[in-house]
Parts: sequence; C-alpha cells; structure tokens
Amino acid sequence: MIIPEIAFYLFSVVAIASAFMVVAARNPVHSVLFLILTFFNAAGLFVLLGAEFLAMILVIVYVGAVAVLFLFVVMMLDINFVELRQGFLQYMPVGVAIGIVLLIELVFVLGTWVIVPEAKVFAEAPPPANVTNTHALGQILYTEYVYLFQAAGLVLLVAMVGAIVLTLRTREGVRRQSAFAQTHRRREDAIEIKKVLPGQGA
Amino acid sequence: MQTFLYEDIVPLFPELTVATAAIVLLMVGVFRGDRSTRSLVWAAILALAGALAILVQEPERSVIVLRGMFVADPFALFAKVLILVGSGFALVMSISYIEREAMDRFEYPILILFATLGMMMMVSANNLISLYVGLELQSLALYVVAALRRDSLRSTEAGLKYFVLGALSSGLLLYGCSLIYGFTGTTSFDALTDVFTERGTQPSLGLLIGLIFLIAGLAFKVSAVPFHMWTPDVYEGAPTPVTAFFAVAPKVAAMALFLRAIIAPFAELTGQWQQVIVLISIASMLLGAFAAIHQTNIKRLMAYSSIGHMGFALVGLAAGTPEGVRGVLIYLAIYVAMNVGTFACILCMRQKDGMVESIADLSGLSRNHPVRAAFFALFLFSLAGIPPLAGFFAKFYIFVAAVNAGLYALAIIGVLASVVGAYYYLRIVKIMYFDAPAEPFVRPIGGEMTVVLGVTGAFTLFYVFYPAPLVAAAQTAAYALFP
Amino acid sequence: MVSFWDGYLWPGIVIVAQCVALIVPLLIAVAYLTLFERKVMAAMMLRRGPNVVGAFGLLQPFADGLKFLVKETVIPAGANKVVFLIAPMLTFVLAMIAWAVIPVSAGVVLSDINVGVLYLFAISSLGVYGIIMAGWASNSRYAFLGALRSSAQMVSYEVSMGFIIITVLLCVGSLNMSKIVEAQRDLWFAIPLFPMFVIFFISTLAETNRHPFDLPEAESELVAGYQIEYSAFAFALFMLGEYANMILMSAFTAILFLGGWLPPLDIAPFNWIPGFVWFAIKIVILLFVFIWVRATLPRYRYDQLMRIGWKFFLPLSLLWVVLTASAIVAFGWYPSKA
Repeated sequence: MIIPEIAFYLFSVVAIASAFMVVAARNPVHSVLFLILTFFNAAGLFVLLGAEFLAMILVIVYVGAVAVLFLFVVMMLDINFVELRQGFLQYMPVGVAIGIVLLIELVFVLGTWVIVPEAKVFAEAPPPANVTNTHALGQILYTEYVYLFQAAGLVLLVAMVGAIVLTLRTREGVRRQSAFAQTHRRREDAIEIKKVLPGQGA
Repeated sequence: MQTFLYEDIVPLFPELTVATAAIVLLMVGVFRGDRSTRSLVWAAILALAGALAILVQEPERSVIVLRGMFVADPFALFAKVLILVGSGFALVMSISYIEREAMDRFEYPILILFATLGMMMMVSANNLISLYVGLELQSLALYVVAALRRDSLRSTEAGLKYFVLGALSSGLLLYGCSLIYGFTGTTSFDALTDVFTERGTQPSLGLLIGLIFLIAGLAFKVSAVPFHMWTPDVYEGAPTPVTAFFAVAPKVAAMALFLRAIIAPFAELTGQWQQVIVLISIASMLLGAFAAIHQTNIKRLMAYSSIGHMGFALVGLAAGTPEGVRGVLIYLAIYVAMNVGTFACILCMRQKDGMVESIADLSGLSRNHPVRAAFFALFLFSLAGIPPLAGFFAKFYIFVAAVNAGLYALAIIGVLASVVGAYYYLRIVKIMYFDAPAEPFVRPIGGEMTVVLGVTGAFTLFYVFYPAPLVAAAQTAAYALFP
Repeated sequence: MVSFWDGYLWPGIVIVAQCVALIVPLLIAVAYLTLFERKVMAAMMLRRGPNVVGAFGLLQPFADGLKFLVKETVIPAGANKVVFLIAPMLTFVLAMIAWAVIPVSAGVVLSDINVGVLYLFAISSLGVYGIIMAGWASNSRYAFLGALRSSAQMVSYEVSMGFIIITVLLCVGSLNMSKIVEAQRDLWFAIPLFPMFVIFFISTLAETNRHPFDLPEAESELVAGYQIEYSAFAFALFMLGEYANMILMSAFTAILFLGGWLPPLDIAPFNWIPGFVWFAIKIVILLFVFIWVRATLPRYRYDQLMRIGWKFFLPLSLLWVVLTASAIVAFGWYPSKA
C-alpha cells in the first residue's frame, strides 16, 4: 500500500515545515498557530504508527486545551517582538549549542541500539495482537505502573496548589453575588405591606 | 480483575497516612480559609506522628511491592523516621512564627506534608522512575514553600532561584536515567544489579556518562559542591522555619536516596563512581569550611555549614562499605538533631521590631539570655565536632569508615576541613560570650520552642552515654542495602 | 492497470461517494435547521415566521444561501487576511469531518474507529480555534472580546463534558461509537445516568455557543462578537458551521444517552422503522429543545456561566464518575468484554 507512505511524508513534511515556521514567523500569533499545526501533524504520525489513543489525547490535551490558553496569552501580550528579535544574533551561539547537544543526545539514543545489542529488544516491543492500544495502555498503566500513576497525580496536585498559593490574590472590597442568599431570600424579608391611612403617609 | 493485593498496600501505610491527611487537610483549608492555619499545622503534626507510629510498628523486613517500584526495608525505615521527625520538628517550630510574621497561609502545612510524602517515596524508591517521581513531588512542594512569602522580594527570589536550578538538576538527573536505561534496558534497581553482575565491571562509556549525570542530579539535591550555588540564597531568602525544614528533612531524604541509588545497583561499578564522590566530598568539605568564615548572616552561615556537613556525610558514601553507610546514617540522625536545635535558637532571635538574622545581633547573648546562649553554644560546639558532644561521634564514625576503606587522604582532608570549620562556629560562641551586649531579644520564646530545644539539646549532650540503640538501628539499616 | 483500479481508484471512488452521501444530506439538514429554528421560534412567539419564499417558506434557506453567495466578502483593512479567511473555513470543515465517526445506523458509518469518542471530542475541542482566529484576525475590540469569552467558555465546559463521557465509557467498556450504541440495547443511558444526561445537554449548549450561553456573540453587548466583521460567504460558513455543530452535538448526545439508532422498545411496530429514522427523530427532538431553550431563557452573565461550569458541573460530574465506577466495582457490573 502506498497510501500510508504518502500520508507519512505529508504529515512529516508539514510538521517540519510548520515547526520551522514557529521559529521563523514574524508574528507571534502565527508562531502559535504553526505550533498547533505541528502538534496536529504529530498526532497524524501517531495514527500512522497505530497509536490512535495517543494521537487523540495529543489533540485533546495539547491542541484543544494547552495551546488555546497559550494562544490566549500571546494574543493579549503587547510586546514588540521585532524589538525582541534584535538580540537574535546575540543569542544564536547558545541556541546552536543547545541544538548540537540535542543532536548528540539523539545520536546517543539511536546509537545505543547499535552499541548495545541487548537494548534493541526493548526498542521493538511489538503491539500485542487482538488488543486495542487503549486497552493495552490501560492494562499496563493500572497494573505495572499504578504506583507511579498515583504518584504523578499527587505531583500534579502539588503543582496546582502551588500555582494557586503563589498567584491567587483575594481582592478586598469586591461585592460578590451569593446565589444561595438570593434564592433563599423570602418575600417577607424583602417587602412589608403597610396600611397607609389617608392623610398620614407611610 | 484483581490487579494488586492488600499485601502490596500494607508497606505503604505510612505514606498513605500522610497522603490522606494532606488531601483531607487541603479540603478543610479550602473551605475554612487561612484562619484555620494553626489547627491545620497541629493536625499535620499529628498526621506525621501517626505515620511515625505506624512506621515503627512495622515488622523489620525487606519487601518489594507494587511490581518492584517500592521497597520497604530497614534502611527506608531508618530514613523515614528521620524525615518524619525532622518535618514534625520543623512544623512545631513554625507555629508561632507563621502567626507573627503574617505567613499564615493554610497551604503551608499541606505543602510540607506533600514534601514529606515525596521524601518518603524517594527513600523507598526501587526504580529510577519512582525515584524521579518522588523527587519531583518533594521538589515542587519545596519550591513553593520557599516562595511562600510572595510579598517579600527575597523569598520570591529564593523560590525562583531554587525552581530554575532545581529544574535544571532534575533535567540532568532524567538525562542520566535515560542514558542508564538506554544502555542497560532497565530502570529497576534490582535488575540493574543483575545486569552489572552479569556483564562485569567494564561498563560502556554511555552508561558511565549516565551515572555521572545521575550523581550530578543527586548532588544538587544534597547541595554538594559544585552544585551548591542555590543553597545560601535559598536559605537566606526563605522564611526561617522553611529554612529549618530545608536544612533537615530534604537533606536526609536526598542523602538516603543517594545511598540507595548508588550503593546497591552500581555496587559492581564502585571503582568508577568512588572517585567522583571523593572529589565532590572534598570540594564540599573545603568550601563549607572556608566560605562560611566571612558570613555575617546566620542563615547563610548555616547554608555553608550544611554544605560542609553534606561533604562529611559523602565521605561515608565514598567508602562504599556497610560501615560507611552506617556512618552516614548516624551522621544524618545527629545532623537532624543539631540543626533542629540550632534553627530553634535562630528562630528565637527576635527583637522588639521583628526577626533579626545577623550574627552581630547575637553579641553578648550570654549576658542577656544565659540559658539561650548556653543552648546555642552547645549546638555550635556539636556542629564543630567537639567531643564529647554528638557531632563528634558523627564525624568519628565517618572517618573510621573512610580509613578502613583505605581512603586515607580523604579522611585527613576531612579532619583538616573540620578543624577549619570549627573556627567559624567558635567565632559565634566568642561573639555571644565575650562581646558587648546588643539589644536583647524578646523574652518568652513559647512552650513548643522550649520543648524542641530541650529534646535536641538533651540528645546532643547525652548521646555519648547511650549510643547503642542508634548505632544498632543504623547497622541494621546499612546492611539492608548490601544483599 | 487492474490492480491500480482495484487497489486505489475504486476504493477511492467508494470513499468519496460515501462522504458525499453523508455530507449532502447533512448540508440540506443544516439549511432546513435554520428554517426550523425560525419557524419554531415564530410559533413560540405567536408569529408566522418565513412564509413567502415557496410553500410555507420552504425555499427560504436556498434564498438565503443564494444571497450570501452573491454578496461581496468585505475584508477589513486592518485585518490579518489569511487568518481572517481561514477561520470560517476551519469552523465549517471541523463541523463536517467530525461526522466521519457518527454511526447513522447499525454498521452505517464512514470510519468505525476504536477511539471514536475521543476523535469526536478532539474535533469538537478544535472548534474553538475558528472563533479565536476570527476574533483576533478581525482586528476589532468586539470581535476579540467575543473570542476571549468563547475560548474560556469552551475550554471550561469541555472539562465536565470529558468527565461525563468517562461515566458513559465506564458503562460501555469501549471507545467505539457503535459499541456505545449497542450497549444501550436494553436500557438507554439517559435513564441510569439521568443527571449526567442533563448536564451533558447543557454543556453542549455552551460548547456550541448557543443560548443561554451565547456570550461570544451576544448581539446586544458585543454586536455579534467574533462574527462582527464577517460578511457574505465567510459569514455563511460560520453559520453553517454553527448549525452543523448543533446537529453534531445532538447526534453525540443521542448516541451517548438515547441509544443512537435503536428504537425505544425492541418490539413489533417500533423495530419496523429503520435505524437511521430513529436516529433522525432523536436528533430533531434534541434540536427542538435547543431552539426551545433559545426562545425561553435569557442570556447568562459571564461570571454566572463560569460559576455553573466550574463549581457545579465539574464537581457533580466528577462525583458521578466516582459513583459509577464504585457501583460497577461493588456490584460486579463490568461491561462485557468487547
């Protein structure tokens, strides 16, 4: 079948091109939009790998939630990005250095399979037959890694508590609506019927 | 459908107690707000005590549960007892501080509980992944408590610095873990041991690089040179009870984790990592001794002191023998007691218009507050390692282990460093006893402080008469690491 | 050449034909939904609604469509042209491609993938991009405010929707849309999970930016919000997208809670009627409620919208996830292994 190959090249070319555009785009909002496109194509590559669950989660979590908030923030920022770019050449050596380090790491990872033959066994874990990868993930996550799963949950809880502790400020003097008080207000509390005698007023 | 058994959960009861307490108290705090902080702190202390009670009741055994992720053995037990005691004391010491200094955020005790939980998970880790998750849980909570006084510039700076450098070190650690995984094909400590036993002592270069990165990440967490830069700033910037906590529990946890991660899985590679540890240890001891001399801020001084002490503890790790590990564990226990005591003294440094933390403020303390000065002097002498106080024995066990392992140079440098270190501890004693009195401190220090000072002081002073239980417990714990 | 014909061309033609067979009725349905809405609203307001073009106004949607086509597409001078034009297309395309996994009747579905629910959820979570991009590219305060409101609103309600979907999935044991429907052969999930059904329906109102949660448009305060600068066919694409999303969400609700194509009772007169008719009937009933709500309820204030989403729906749906899971474990009601 040639179609998966065409799809692979389509997804990967678009992913790389848009990843490049994330860096190259002049407008930061365009950068974020290209980033989203990159995520989306990565999800497509996951589908081709047969990891459809991961693909969908990638779209839901990264594209559907994280990137939205990201876009939200970038749109509201009032930063002159052209000015920021002035220092681009100045930081270039650092960027190049990081790029080279990442490249070396990748070489390491791929090289491992050549250097240590035993490790190759782990790289080629075949997808189990007759099990959808959603099932397979669930089975390993809730048995083998249940401890880590729960612990990761605690880490996220702490991160959330931390973010709230460090940023939430309760403002003084804000009048808040209390829906509970509103719905529990009875007629007798609000109005009073008075018999007004003629000539005397209320 | 049974995925894990009740027996798998039993060794986790202390952790579960802390976790449940943290979550319940979080709910209480969310609904009751900051006015419940005081009761929440007490409840947290109670939870730690409960966990401690459950912990010490457990039979002494080594079990590995939850598919090899979690190990409960005498070593973990020993470290957890120290962590729980340290955290508990840190919380007790903070009660009056947080009310006085308007730091009564209800999240404070909860974050401390989570940090403690993370530390307990660290010392029980039996896998590179559970090591990392526990470490992250602890670190995240610590970053936040360091910056808890977000209106204070120094506190936010401390939090931010700690966060950025901590994230970097976590990155190093993870990179090391991934290399180790890549070159051995496993993350489990048991399996790592087997791999090295089979493959012999000639590891590949990539594996060694991974090990170095792992050591670097762990060295950051124990604040050993050259990964110590964050320590003085964080100690100085963080609120003092938080600093006291930082100085005690996380150090114990990180050091225990260091032992657990290096000793057993990489036993076959001792020749490879020993030189690195020796180097780190020497650098830490020397820097701790020399850099502390010129400090004027007592919290900064304690930071350098803790760097030095971690250097001494690493001597025991460098030895790589059961005796060395035993030395480290005893060292940690005594270190906890001395540091809690010292920080209790520092927390009592309060003049009429607020907390002070400069060494000059201690001048003539013996005339204003003779009892307090005596206690402070006791802890400083012990930190300096003057016999017959506990601090001397801590160093003694370590150096004996180093000598027995053939690391003569290391032992000699250690002794020299501790002599230099003694200078700056004794300088404070001199300032307290022989200089003209400064403005006196506020008088009643509170019942809980008295108790903390009493307990730690008694331990430091009387350890010499009754060392057997601690030594025996450390002995059992140390042998648990050597199969 | 034979293999090329058998291997690529013929399957390609079949796929295209299937897509056309789904999209054309869908577009007609969208067109008539606009008419349906106007007629129903008119009836509720004691008016007559459109009745001039064709008998009973039946040709009105086509007249509207034609008008949109022949008008000029105005692009504001300060707008970001490319993004401005991509936004309505994105909205429309997303509303269409989501239908790929909706089973119209037993086995009648374009792509019966195993993660159908997730696919649908993913696509619907992308819908917010059309609105944000439109709001930003228009270079207008009103449009931007509308976009901000909508992104916050859709992201917030997606969370509780996710939990509700999880409760259903717990009862089914599969993410496949057809299996979800088949699991309701004996009992529609709307009955045991009634509170979730209600919350899910309300969340779909928020997710499609419909009344009473139409704050992104809010013609009385934001003068149509993100759509303000759009005209002609770009605007028509937004409209088509919005109505197609309404149908999509109704179909989703019908599949999750109302047994999809299954008849209400599996007995003689009911099961003579083909499945897709039942499915259509359920969708129309839900759409009627959409319109009914619009005609009845005033618009929520923004903080009230957020409050109800985060403080009521989220805890409640989370509670139901826990309750459902506990009940399944406690009574051993595990879904049969698919």
